[in-house]
Amino acid sequence: MHITPLHPTFVGEVSDLDIAVPLSSDQAATIEAGMDQYAVLVFRDQPLTDEQQCSYSRNFGELEATLIGQMSKPGERRLGPVEIGDISNLDPSGRLRARDNNRRMYALGNRLWHSDASFRATGAGYSLLSARVVPAYGGNTEFADMRAAYDALDEKTKTEVEDLTTEHSIAFSRGQLGFDNYGEGNADMIRPVHHRLVRTHPVTGRKSLYLSAHIGTIVGWPVPEARAFIRDLTEHATQPQFTHAHQWRVNDLVMWDNRTTMHRARRYRDLQDVRDLRRTSIKGTEPAAMAAE
Amino acid sequence: MSIAISERTQGFVGEVSGIDITQPLTRAQAAELEAGMDRYAVLIYHDQHFTDDQQKAFSLNFGPLEQTAGGNVTKAADRRLDPDMADVSNLGADHKPLGRDDRRRLFNLGNQLWHSDSSFRAIPAKYSLLSGRIVVDAEGNTEFADMRAAYDALDDKTKAEIETLVCEHSLLYSRGTLGFSDLSDEEKRMFKPVRQRLVRTHPATGRKSLYLSSHIGTIIGWPMPEARAFIRDLTEHAVQPRFTYSHKWRQYDLVMWDNRSTMHRVRRFDETQVRDMRRTTVAGDTVTVEQLAA
Repeated sequence: MHITPLHPTFVGEVSDLDIAVPLSSDQAATIEAGMDQYAVLVFRDQPLTDEQQCSYSRNFGELEATLIGQMSKPGERRLGPVEIGDISNLDPSGRLRARDNNRRMYALGNRLWHSDASFRATGAGYSLLSARVVPAYGGNTEFADMRAAYDALDEKTKTEVEDLTTEHSIAFSRGQLGFDNYGEGNADMIRPVHHRLVRTHPVTGRKSLYLSAHIGTIVGWPVPEARAFIRDLTEHATQPQFTHAHQWRVNDLVMWDNRTTMHRARRYRDLQDVRDLRRTSIKGTEPAAMAAE
Repeated sequence: MSIAISERTQGFVGEVSGIDITQPLTRAQAAELEAGMDRYAVLIYHDQHFTDDQQKAFSLNFGPLEQTAGGNVTKAADRRLDPDMADVSNLGADHKPLGRDDRRRLFNLGNQLWHSDSSFRAIPAKYSLLSGRIVVDAEGNTEFADMRAAYDALDDKTKAEIETLVCEHSLLYSRGTLGFSDLSDEEKRMFKPVRQRLVRTHPATGRKSLYLSSHIGTIIGWPMPEARAFIRDLTEHAVQPRFTYSHKWRQYDLVMWDNRSTMHRVRRFDETQVRDMRRTTVAGDTVTVEQLAA
């Protein structure tokens, strides 16, 4: 197994490994060490079934259910288990979603820079995204290195952000785009949670900015002041020197560490071209943050 | 002495010297400055010790003034300046910095979002002229983005896609982005959305530009989330460093910009310090698109 760096501060491409078959514990440990170093790993030419993707993902912890899966009724889902995130533009019958389809509106939130499941009390660890069908052009996924972004802050800002606690909810990111239709009985799912703005990676000890479009305010701050500041920090953290664009090929698998990165999807012709990606996520194991109370 | 304009940022920002703009201008001088605005879109003048009346008189060289009413949540009785002057300070009527939770302050934080002045009015502004009476010693820069260059740099597919799009603009949208929703029914009526073309053509130069602004809430005929995601992408394109200029203020700078071809925003600063900036606005003379009947 080899890892080739694709960016000066993060992202490596793994070669000479077949992840569709069971891994030895040494191999899994090597990948995990690579994740600690690179935060994003790219695997090319890995045709996977959903079951193989789940098996591979379990090398790194317990699978997490997707929020939209939990909020959906059974008939609204295209894929089976709620651990398989449906990152596609297809409806349950496998046809392209209509322009005003509610799931399409919800999924547009993925075009905002975010860290997966930061709206949960314990945010996600890794996410793993497998490309089954990719569009002719557009639809890149971009990643931002939140360790390098933290390191590049001036000392005054580091001091200012050190002890801040932010409030995250899926309702904040979707609210930015004017979406608020979550369906009945889902009020609990959108209740805000608290996280530290600066977090420390449990293995490497490196600090990073824990930013996400799901942030709605900073605890103790007036909301508009908090949002303006979070926007400034996000703009800082997503400058070209901290980001990498992944251009998808069929059978790519990309895995990233949500504790140290943000990501977003870019626009594509989603009313014409199929884009079928499937995501698994690993539950976080430690509180991303102590709540303010 | 004759007017000289030196180029600060290629084809976008010019620095004017050789003229005292606190004194009455000849028609030829005013025409020369207006031609400079058409060429650059942002002009900087240093060491111009304006009174409010002098600033208004200079501004009137370029057209009638736009009234400030309808553009903020400060009540008439609480105003520090007269109605022709937009108060872009962090001060209350007592000339002291507003408290952290003061709703006027929270409303004004919307100026940290990229915008074009008065794009929320059916007839939006032509020029804005901002005079730095008391400036802060660090931060608080005003940044400008050249929306002509940003338009020119779009690929042909995107140019074709946006050519005839119409957006809805309102202060409700820009303030909603920052979670400011503490508005009276009267304010909500005052901030009723208006329509603007997304691509506009400058009346003097004929150049096209992207008419973007944080006041945009949707594109007519589009689902709102799709519209907002697309507007965010266009804005991100338009404010790349190669299209922007950051102005660090010196006391008695006057900066004037053409809202028809630029966006701007203020950057964060220490709001316990006094920052007293005063804006006059030259009214536009035409809609960019037909409005809906009231």
